[in-house]
Amino acid sequence: MRLQLAFALAVLALAVPRARADGELAVRGVYYKEQATRVMQPMLDGMFDAGLHGVATGHFLVDAITSASASSGAANAQPFTERRYEGGLGYAHDFGGLTVGADAKYSTESDYISRYAGVKVQLELGQKNTVLGLGGGISLDTVSAAAAQGPSMPSLRCSASDPSETSCPLDVYALYGSASQILGPNTVLGGSVDLATLRGYQSNPYREAIAGDALVPERHPTERTRESFAASVRHYLSPTGTTVIAAYRYYRDTWKVHAHTPELRVVQEIGRDADATVGYRYYTQDGAFFFRDRYPADDAAMTQYVSDDVKLSTFTGHTLEAKLGVLGDAFELHGQWAAARFEGILEYDIQNNRFGNAVVAHVALTLPFTY
Amino acid sequence: MVAAAVRYLSWFAVAILCCSFATASTGCVVVRAHERGHLAKRAMTDDRDPGETRFVGHERGSREGAEGGAGQPGGGCGCN
Repeated sequence: MRLQLAFALAVLALAVPRARADGELAVRGVYYKEQATRVMQPMLDGMFDAGLHGVATGHFLVDAITSASASSGAANAQPFTERRYEGGLGYAHDFGGLTVGADAKYSTESDYISRYAGVKVQLELGQKNTVLGLGGGISLDTVSAAAAQGPSMPSLRCSASDPSETSCPLDVYALYGSASQILGPNTVLGGSVDLATLRGYQSNPYREAIAGDALVPERHPTERTRESFAASVRHYLSPTGTTVIAAYRYYRDTWKVHAHTPELRVVQEIGRDADATVGYRYYTQDGAFFFRDRYPADDAAMTQYVSDDVKLSTFTGHTLEAKLGVLGDAFELHGQWAAARFEGILEYDIQNNRFGNAVVAHVALTLPFTY
Repeated sequence: MVAAAVRYLSWFAVAILCCSFATASTGCVVVRAHERGHLAKRAMTDDRDPGETRFVGHERGSREGAEGGAGQPGGGCGCN
């Protein structure tokens, strides 16, 4: 009898079809243009259910910088062409209210290699009304001047006391904490704290600053600790189908850069199958303590920090964004294509510095599937 | 780094506990599953895809001195 029962259970187990799993594939192309740089970035993102409680993710992208300056905004910039390749994998497992995940990323281009690994934990409390997150990661990067124009590759001084090298390390240790709290059926509050310490070569190997009557290679400090505190609130207005997202970030670091970034986005539902977003973001920052337009003549020991990095100057910026998302259903597509999302984004960045203004355009297709 | 992490994450934990307590004490903390139709909408969870978020972070990191605030750490990139 027991044998018959076991046999019946085995037949039943074989007869029951395998549970189907869901996944999602997203293809995105981005075009970016500013005064001295033009970038095309095709990318592929995938997300797959792995078993009943796991989710695996992966991405691959190519940064094709077709006309840019290696010295990133420097006055003496020369055009160059380069490609950056990046791939990443991640996995998260749900233990019932507690999700534990890990991810890794590798990026390579001729003069910069980055290897990143991180872990994260997410805890749901109060019937998922509160979600807390904690994560951290380490990035071990290698910087060289391999994209330099000319017959020989410039050497780098990894720190003031080191002899010249062909490449220098840059290690980044990052931690973050995040939280979201449901305040009502239409409102969610979020907050996060990010902390990162960078140790190693943080200059641009191609950039030079004016010191006295000469141009000298950029020398930034080799240690930097960055902190950012962000908060956001999302509110849904049911009568009009409108979501209002307000966010603010305060940033500071040990180079004395302080930045404030308020942002407002409004997402409007258009029928059942489309949504349109408009957004505005304001950005303002103080310059780094060592940033100058001109420096005194270099002393023999070359002890002063010198920089020609526009990002370290005092400036303000404005970003305007418009986005349209449409589901395949709106085009009378059937099956899984009905749930596919087509997206277009246009963004205009205004900056009152040497970078100048920039235009960003995205087109994307996200296709859910079952396997 | 470790001291700063402990300091800020401690503040963060205290802030979260205070917010949770304050919200709970108002009696409106628990929004049940059947009341979350609006909260489940795309715009209310994350209105940006991973690819968009990644590009925006990369682009802004190459044009601005500030980084972070997205609620997750990122690796380095050739944009210094």
